[in-house]
Amino acid sequence: MSEAAARIGPRRRLAVDVAAALNLVGTLGKYLGLAAVFPIPIALTHHEAIWPFVVAGVATSGLGFALERATAGVQGRVGVREGFLVVSLTWLVAAGFAAIPYLMAGGEQLSSPIDAYFEGMSGFTTTGATVVTNYDALERSVDMWRQFTQWLGGMGIIVLAIAVLPRLRVGGRQMMESELPGPEMAQLADRIRSTARALWLLYVGLTVLETLALASLGWLGIDDKMTPFEALAHAFTTMPTGGFSTQPRSVEVFSAAAQWIIVLFMLLAGANFALLYRGLVRRRPRLLLHDEEFRLYLAIAVVASAALTAMLWGYGIDRGEAAVRTATFQIVSIMTTTGYASTNFALWPALLLLTLFAVMFVGGSAGSTGGSIKVVRHLLLGKILRREIDQTLSPELVMPIRLNGSPVDERTVRAVAAFVLLYVGAWALGSGIIAVESAISGTGLGTLDALATAATALGNIGPGLGVTGPMGSFASLGAASKVTLIGLMWVGRLEIIPVAVLLTRHYWRL
Amino acid sequence: MRIFVIGAGQVGSTIVEALHEGHEISVLDMEAPRLQALATRFDVAVHEGDGTSRKDLAKAGMGSANLVIACTSRDEVNLVAGMFARREAPGATTVIRTSTIEYVELWREGQLDVDFVVSSELETAYAISRIIGVPAARQTDVFADGQVQVGEFEIDDDASPEVLGVPLRHAPLPRDSKVAAILRREETIFPGGDDVIVDGDRIVVIGSPGAAKTWSLLLWPAGGTVRDVILYGAGRVGSAIARVLLDQGLSVRMIEASRERARVTAEAFPDARVFSATGFDADFLERERIGSAQAGIFAMRDDAKNLYAASLLRAHGIPFAIAIAHEPVSVAAFEQAGIDVSVNPRGVTAEEIVRFAHDPRMQQVAMLEGNRFEVLDVTTRESSRYIGQTFRDMPVHGALIGAIVRDGRAIFPHGDDTLQAGDRVVVFTEAANAPWVVEAL
Repeated sequence: MSEAAARIGPRRRLAVDVAAALNLVGTLGKYLGLAAVFPIPIALTHHEAIWPFVVAGVATSGLGFALERATAGVQGRVGVREGFLVVSLTWLVAAGFAAIPYLMAGGEQLSSPIDAYFEGMSGFTTTGATVVTNYDALERSVDMWRQFTQWLGGMGIIVLAIAVLPRLRVGGRQMMESELPGPEMAQLADRIRSTARALWLLYVGLTVLETLALASLGWLGIDDKMTPFEALAHAFTTMPTGGFSTQPRSVEVFSAAAQWIIVLFMLLAGANFALLYRGLVRRRPRLLLHDEEFRLYLAIAVVASAALTAMLWGYGIDRGEAAVRTATFQIVSIMTTTGYASTNFALWPALLLLTLFAVMFVGGSAGSTGGSIKVVRHLLLGKILRREIDQTLSPELVMPIRLNGSPVDERTVRAVAAFVLLYVGAWALGSGIIAVESAISGTGLGTLDALATAATALGNIGPGLGVTGPMGSFASLGAASKVTLIGLMWVGRLEIIPVAVLLTRHYWRL
Repeated sequence: MRIFVIGAGQVGSTIVEALHEGHEISVLDMEAPRLQALATRFDVAVHEGDGTSRKDLAKAGMGSANLVIACTSRDEVNLVAGMFARREAPGATTVIRTSTIEYVELWREGQLDVDFVVSSELETAYAISRIIGVPAARQTDVFADGQVQVGEFEIDDDASPEVLGVPLRHAPLPRDSKVAAILRREETIFPGGDDVIVDGDRIVVIGSPGAAKTWSLLLWPAGGTVRDVILYGAGRVGSAIARVLLDQGLSVRMIEASRERARVTAEAFPDARVFSATGFDADFLERERIGSAQAGIFAMRDDAKNLYAASLLRAHGIPFAIAIAHEPVSVAAFEQAGIDVSVNPRGVTAEEIVRFAHDPRMQQVAMLEGNRFEVLDVTTRESSRYIGQTFRDMPVHGALIGAIVRDGRAIFPHGDDTLQAGDRVVVFTEAANAPWVVEAL
């Protein structure tokens, strides 16, 4: 063999450095396992078993450590290509981690692996869809574990890792972008580590604030049900726009004051965190009012709430403050993809259901913890359509798409259009599978129910409209539907494209 | 005055041409042939050297200059030369030319250590904006912070019959304006009330900006007020023009052949409509109703293209065409071809720079008809023999006072007004008489 041939060597089989990616997933898993420590004190105070959390923590950290060691000798580096794999796998691993305590301590209702994994995925992706039917049977520590997984998943596991782990200082930006959704990540600082830290700081700060606000209602005697435990549990699922509740009837049991506080924090959670940081922490509130996306976000919330109020009043379902509160609460909850309910809206007439169904596709703002399509994409899509129409008449006209006055890169513009198409495609595919299974097994899911169930999972919202409604459960769905929904929650959280990249031939082979 | 000029290109030679009488000029340039051409035409000292070399600048005698003008076509050279001028000739006034508007803004903020920064692009844009404001004028200049406008008009049979052939005292002329001169063939008339304007004349009018607009309407009733322009070319000059016109609230449609530059321009000017097209396609012109604009400005890099586009749009019905003539020789060709106004960016720049070379009492100077006439903005001295005289009694010596600025306000004097010490006067004069006029005031 000539020297050159020796240098060239045999053909490289894979384009992506799987070992390097697994190595990083291992590291992330190793640290993620530490999260299981949190519910242990709660279990101890309520005299509940701590071993499910110990097992979950040890198993995840141990597996992570083993994976890290097994791939330790590899020379590879996590680049853009590997980033997609790391993010996708990390979220699958995280859902599995969350499922372990359910399997061991969740009792009958969470004993099936698919159900436990569904609950775990719904937790980390901040969806809030649940297979739990009997809330009283759940131990307090498992209750809090559900809430806590949503809180961890809200701002993103990798964003957290970038903030604390030195290893991700290089190459973390692209992974952070796939995890912190939205077409363009607003930069808070030159270094992504500082950005990640600022975002988490704001996230923790707002969570503490909400916990105190809710708990003070209990302390002041305004709301007897709002114990400090409930206050923390609900702050944990408001800020990530999660939607899990410790109560079978969601937040219906709490006072009007508590519901209004939750509305305010849901609105904050659905806003762009980078913008909130600039506006609130750096005290430049005018930035908020000048931001096109934020203005549209508020406008949609106000208009949709007003419309729903009028309908509730017109149908005689509610009147006065109750109508305004019920309408605002459901609209904000569904639009920001939180998924709480203050009433069983599944029983409403079709016109009202369609209103809620429509806001399922709005979503939060870019860079928020909310899911779905997101307001900025609607804004850009509107501008793209406007341009297409103008250019039909004058093809030579050059019209840059602008956001807050600055031109948006054409690649980003195309990515927005592609995302919306993929989103609708994934939704249609998911609804199809659910509808077919429902037809075969006779579960009795209506047309709108099948469509809404897929939409609620893909948008990381939570409740659907029929049996999967706010006071119902996903438990009665078939296994194929549950697996489909798990997949939808996963791709919805990562905004489809990082996962779609993995499905292309050229990702794997050169 | 001892003037040191860096750069013997078009701007440099125009400056030398305007200033060589009465000033001691040295010119430095890298290219010997250019210097030789200059030295054979004018009595100036020439030095071959690099404008960015302090040694070369010192050797050429920059240290003894009162005024340093860095006017090469390269910003960097001018900036460096300006910096060395501060060291080498600390007392001298420094003027640099730039093509980058950012430097002009920096200078206005006081961040550049030179006395004046002149941008060809901005001066061209200002010139065009003045022309657009007074579409009947071939050339206009503003004085006294925009309070006084001087315009040169060409009279043809479009002019209103109320002014054509009517003695000036009977014509309905705006009161705050004055006909400074009538140029009839080779003759220059400083008109009185009995003189008349006829077809084929050129006239110079000094008046308020409002009066200039009224004159424009009298001489070209169809011209109206321009609100909607088509601009060909989005290069540096085109962009500067767009910026100035958009700031004035005009509607601007830009046509740029380069796709990339069209994109950049569209991003920079949200209020303009930018087309990525050559603008020579009949289909496009028809579909976009390009010919329905009130004025066309042609600011592409190639004079021949500007001429062609202007003729094409004329054929499509555009009433008023302004073209950029990068080569001085193109000006005549453009006028021959029926373009209403042509603007030579380097000429405009040179004119702006020449202003700094005059008597310190003089704030501003404009040149008309090539260099045949000048308009001066001079402050009168206590000792001037014209102080206290009424305008009626002032002798006509190939010069005319068109406006005076007293206490910051412009007055357009009539026969009974008197001249006072400390008045700023805007005087129209034959170039040859200019030094004498300055002396007498």
